[in-house]
Amino acid sequence: MGRYHFVFPRWSNLLLPGALVVGAVTPLYVVLVVAYGFSPKTTDVGYEPAQPVPFSHALHAGELGMDCRYCHNTVERAAKAAIPPTQTCMNCHTQIHKDSPQIAPLLESYQSGNPIAWNRVHDLPDFAFFDHSAHVTRGVSCVSCHGRIDRMEVVYQHEPLSMGWCLECHRNPDEALRDPALVTDLGWTFEGTAEEAAAEQARWKELHQINPSQDCSTCHR
Amino acid sequence: MPKFFVYLGLTVIVLAMLPPALIARARTRNTDARRIHYIQDMDNQPKYRAQHANPIFADGRAMRPPVEGTISRTADVDAGHRGRGVVGGAWATTLPPELPMTMERLERGQERYEIYCTMCHGVAGYGDGIINKRANELMNNPAIGNGTAWVQPKNIHEPEIREQPVGQIFNSITNGIRNMSGYGAQIPVDDRWAIAAYVKALQRSQSARMEDVPPSRRGSLPVIDLMPAEEE
Repeated sequence: MGRYHFVFPRWSNLLLPGALVVGAVTPLYVVLVVAYGFSPKTTDVGYEPAQPVPFSHALHAGELGMDCRYCHNTVERAAKAAIPPTQTCMNCHTQIHKDSPQIAPLLESYQSGNPIAWNRVHDLPDFAFFDHSAHVTRGVSCVSCHGRIDRMEVVYQHEPLSMGWCLECHRNPDEALRDPALVTDLGWTFEGTAEEAAAEQARWKELHQINPSQDCSTCHR
Repeated sequence: MPKFFVYLGLTVIVLAMLPPALIARARTRNTDARRIHYIQDMDNQPKYRAQHANPIFADGRAMRPPVEGTISRTADVDAGHRGRGVVGGAWATTLPPELPMTMERLERGQERYEIYCTMCHGVAGYGDGIINKRANELMNNPAIGNGTAWVQPKNIHEPEIREQPVGQIFNSITNGIRNMSGYGAQIPVDDRWAIAAYVKALQRSQSARMEDVPPSRRGSLPVIDLMPAEEE
């Protein structure tokens, strides 16, 4: 007995402190990776699908200053801010840039009557109900959820559109409120002091009796 | 320490840096890669909603166009004043009785005019909107114009148009005229009347005389001296 002695090498003294360090770092690492990796800011924001026609909002809504509602004309009356029919494009493009290869799919759609297969950028889960008209007619600007579309060559998702993000505003709507006549003016900012801005927001909140519901059934119906 | 452990440790550290690197990339760049939903729940349900695509139909629409001849329950089927701008076979000279002329309606008309009409006809209606400007630039520069062939939008203050009854203006908005498309599908009927009313007001404003101003308001008009007297 005891003829052979196993002698731990000297470096094995490092194992215990090493294990402690790994044991302390790993949970932190996992928490951070999950928290950031699963966040909609990582998975959803920045989605910028290519479109069948390289339509530039930066040109039409930005440089030319067309109102959002010229094309998305259902936004004040319906839940959905509809993608316009090809006819809306052709109000101008029967004359402007009519031979451009970039708008060829437009002409094809106009002649065949088949819709253009635009790629959807903003897509809420199918179990969430959202009504555009309820928001824009009461002074929540397009920019609150869509960002500066008037500066985007290709539209991308600017906000997380997650439940937590919706609730942030439903809990504290004041900062998102403005005169409903200004909702499509994406670059608008209140000119005045912070107190004056707060008073103005409070005025619209009072005027439209804005008290956003946080019930489950408000959005999940 | 055996080299093996050193290499193993280094490999683990390098691999552990990959997820943060990918996350940092996803958070700072736009991409056309599909959104990742780790937990699908019922995010995408096998049902069709407004403007979805449905491969079952030849035209790919999930929303089916109504059969020809269908009349919607909410459609404006009035063939007379409100629906067509016609009274007794002639263009209506007033708004429909259901839509009395009020300041509110004029303001609504102004707002709608500035959404749908200003781009071509200009804020004051002289046919000098920004689309007109842009189209002329394109037409004068064939290298970037791609065949742009533009006809300047009508100046609504031309005598011929100024004399049109409001019903005829409503009809032009609804069904289009010359190069202008009809806006009947794009603008609800009551808003089209509001715009027509505003157009009449705009026309009148551009050839207004002092007699058009109610006597009680004349004193409060700002005085603009168009022909200042020469300095002596």
